[in-house]
Amino acid sequence: MADDKSSFDSVAEGPRPSSEVTVSPVKVDSPARAHPSVTALTDQFGEAILRHEVVATDQHIVFIPPDRNLEILSWLRDDLDQQYDLLRDVTAVDYGGGRPLQVVYQLFSLFHKQALRVKCELPLDALEIESVCGLWMAANWLEREVYDLFGITFKNHPDLRRILMPPDYAEGHPLRKDFPLRGRFSRAEQTRRALSQDLKHYYFDDEIELGGESQALPPMDGPQALPSGENEAEAEVETGVEASE
Amino acid sequence: MGLIDKVPPRVVGESPALLGEGTPAFLTSKIDFLVNWSRRNSLWPMPLGTACCGIEMMAAFASDFDLARFGMERMSFSPRQADVLICAGRVTYKFAPVLRRIWDQMTQPKWCVSMGACASTGGVFDVYSMVQGIDTVIPVDVYVPGCPPRPESLIYALMMIQEKIRQEKLDQHAILRAEDPAAVAKPRADAEEIASVSGPFGNSTQQNRVSGSVRTDAISRPGDRIP
Repeated sequence: MADDKSSFDSVAEGPRPSSEVTVSPVKVDSPARAHPSVTALTDQFGEAILRHEVVATDQHIVFIPPDRNLEILSWLRDDLDQQYDLLRDVTAVDYGGGRPLQVVYQLFSLFHKQALRVKCELPLDALEIESVCGLWMAANWLEREVYDLFGITFKNHPDLRRILMPPDYAEGHPLRKDFPLRGRFSRAEQTRRALSQDLKHYYFDDEIELGGESQALPPMDGPQALPSGENEAEAEVETGVEASE
Repeated sequence: MGLIDKVPPRVVGESPALLGEGTPAFLTSKIDFLVNWSRRNSLWPMPLGTACCGIEMMAAFASDFDLARFGMERMSFSPRQADVLICAGRVTYKFAPVLRRIWDQMTQPKWCVSMGACASTGGVFDVYSMVQGIDTVIPVDVYVPGCPPRPESLIYALMMIQEKIRQEKLDQHAILRAEDPAAVAKPRADAEEIASVSGPFGNSTQQNRVSGSVRTDAISRPGDRIP
């Protein structure tokens, strides 16, 4: 056992591409492992179903080309035998090492009570995919989150802005593997940028108006704290300076 | 920590008979005592619970620990009526301007307790999104260690604030409590100080995975430890 690899070695090796994961190949003809939607997808779209994997014994993953995601997902939603009417999650995975980013759709059919995971692989130089907001309204904020943290652009998204990071965040997309853990700027620069943000990102206009006094503190340093005219010595000094000039 | 350490020259009053020369006069010391007594026994905290430390803070305020014994009868959810800002929990850079604004809105005299490891130093969160100690943003009077601290620790911190108030002199008040308008909405610490308190430690010194398959383009600065 001492010569064998430690169980921590696999952790140190980091994530592997899903194509190398040694999951026992799925037997579509075996009734226990088969997923009706996968069979139907293969019949319907043929070559467009790039790969099919089963992980954690019963979770089915279907890989589809990113340029056909809208077509295939809308078929999954609308076909009477599928009816994936619930979009549980849209997220993305970056395995690093220049490997493509994966956009993950977690679908669930309330009617048939079955789940399906659909993945699209996007190469790093073409991080664009069609938005599915038109199919499921739930995709709106989820796709904004993926855009914010991974930098994947969703075409035809109604409101594609950052959602978690500040609107003027300039350091990139934090969940990408090429993003340094502590950010790209120094801590001082990060603090400076954080505090020089526009307050309108955080407060409504009337709230800013209510708290406005704190932005205009009167100078309270020694003699200046006195109202004008009460500090005669200072007034004399000032007039004296003016007279000498 | 956050208080200005300048001690002003003692003001010689107009009535030497009453004030005395060079020694703390009877009347002013009694006024000091009276004002400080009323201040330290009616501290109203502004709770800013952003994480699990906030749960311990609530426990300290609840009946088992009962901070009302110390005159903190009422949590003040408006910074205008608060005396002590208790920052309990981690603060993100996105939240930092809100924290600074709450501090700016509090009226003098005011104090600040940084509760827990994350608020004081950033804690385990040495990451892109976290403020590495709120003392880079606002002045802090007392730091409470712990993850999270026990309610007793928070009570002890507030007792230290009370002790600090007890030692304050009235004639220094105008200097101690002066607000610099130029400091509003600005970080308290300058760039050098922030860099010195936020050096990488622990996992953040190893930004690359062992396999080298993960390229992170880590920024290396002279102060960074080599893993």
